[in-house]
Amino acid sequence: MLDGEKGDAIAKLMQLIVKIGEVNNAEKLIPIKSAQIAGVSYFTVGDSIFSFFDLLLKDEVKVSVPSWLNPAGMDRNKWKTMKIDDKFAKKQFEIIQNYEKMGIETTLSCTPYLIGHQPSYDEHLAWSESSAVIMANGFFGARTNREGAPSSLAAAITGLTAYYGLHKKENRGPDILIDVEAQINHPSDFSVLGYWFGENFHGSTPFFTNIKNGTIDRIKMMASAMASAGSVAHFHIQNITPDAKAISKKDIEERIVFTENEKKEIYELFNSIEGKIDLVTVGCPHTSLSDLMMIESYLKNKSLRDDVEFWIFSSNKIIQSEAASNTIENLESRGIKIFADTCMVVSPAVRSNFLNIATNSAKAAFYLSRDDNINVKLLQLERILESVTE
Amino acid sequence: MRKLKIRSIVDGKVEGVALVSPTPISFFGEIDPQSGVILDSKNPLFGETIANKIFVFPEGRGSTVGSYVIYGLAKNQVSPLALVANKAETIVIAGAILADIPLFDQSEEDVTVVIKNGDIIRIDSEKQILEIKENEK
Repeated sequence: MLDGEKGDAIAKLMQLIVKIGEVNNAEKLIPIKSAQIAGVSYFTVGDSIFSFFDLLLKDEVKVSVPSWLNPAGMDRNKWKTMKIDDKFAKKQFEIIQNYEKMGIETTLSCTPYLIGHQPSYDEHLAWSESSAVIMANGFFGARTNREGAPSSLAAAITGLTAYYGLHKKENRGPDILIDVEAQINHPSDFSVLGYWFGENFHGSTPFFTNIKNGTIDRIKMMASAMASAGSVAHFHIQNITPDAKAISKKDIEERIVFTENEKKEIYELFNSIEGKIDLVTVGCPHTSLSDLMMIESYLKNKSLRDDVEFWIFSSNKIIQSEAASNTIENLESRGIKIFADTCMVVSPAVRSNFLNIATNSAKAAFYLSRDDNINVKLLQLERILESVTE
Repeated sequence: MRKLKIRSIVDGKVEGVALVSPTPISFFGEIDPQSGVILDSKNPLFGETIANKIFVFPEGRGSTVGSYVIYGLAKNQVSPLALVANKAETIVIAGAILADIPLFDQSEEDVTVVIKNGDIIRIDSEKQILEIKENEK
């Protein structure tokens, strides 16, 4: 492949994988089972990607393993409701179609593991969305590094990745034990714990003790926050994650306690709304069906005030599913907007239409608050809804 | 003249004027792929172009689609002659390989301190040596 007998594009992609391997002292390349590819939203990739597509499509390259895409910059069906303009939409559709030509499944989700793409234990992957990477490693015990947009695409096409980092068992152990003393109940609490860890222990792997009620939906909130605040790519939780049993607490030298004080500090970091909330948004990472049902139960006998909007982000497969139809209908009848294929982080729509945004996700709060014009409040969803319903 | 030992990641033999950024660069959002101009107003090089310069910086940062910006620079014929970093990470490596831009890193010294803006530098990947000539200015 390197010599170009399969075309210039393949040679380039192969060279990319080999060089990344060399720089990281990888002794070999290994086959991967699947690839999850970033670089989809026109808002985050811009126009440069089109010249790269030209190179790949000239040689008609195709992926050689099951591959799927990260969220785009808009809902494919409801982009007008999001107030996305025609020019943006045209470019966005073009990007998605170009990936489709390479045989990539256009799932447009950051939670492939919730929609039929659960990785198996010990499987080698090349995933790139940071929250999906950390869930694949930590929750499922699969093995992937944090791939970049081009390296995940190169892996999807060649079927190979370099054997280094989290692909090797010896790099997957915990660096630090976190004793969770604070009450961690709501999805936003899990998100706050993850954010605190990421911010303080950049790039390291935690072993959490005393976490109860660790459902996949709560853990995805924690994992995504660790990944965005601190480039964390792996974690262990006592009694929950697959490798935790084999870890002896005695062997971990560094120990830190997460108390109510730390929890409070993080909530206060994202508390800049002084006036009224104009948008409530959840779905970072994308909501599951049970998340949607939980929101439905919070809203029982309540109605949203007219001066506030509520945007939920999920994946197409969940929104379109038979099982979700009643819940979706019920939520939409209350004026709630449910969008697929995108989210508040990778779409320009949330940033350009709202100023005072409340969310239960520390990852979303972190990215939205980088925009100087936007005020963000991070809070548990029940409490947010109390303040915007009648 | 000073000589630094460096590692060659994408090979090449180049000579040109150095443009030195003291801060890490996110190619996505901080460099205009159409012109190579530095868009980040906090960077002292704000408004200058990396096109046809030897661009020296500590490391890449930010979104991994930055690699596509580096590729875009080459397609738009405004690519730097070479990239010299203290530490080349995946974004920069992937971009330089795709765009065929010579890339060097791992000098024993901080390249953003030793090399001054406007210095003429010559790099030969075969010898793994970077030579700094007198500043033209």
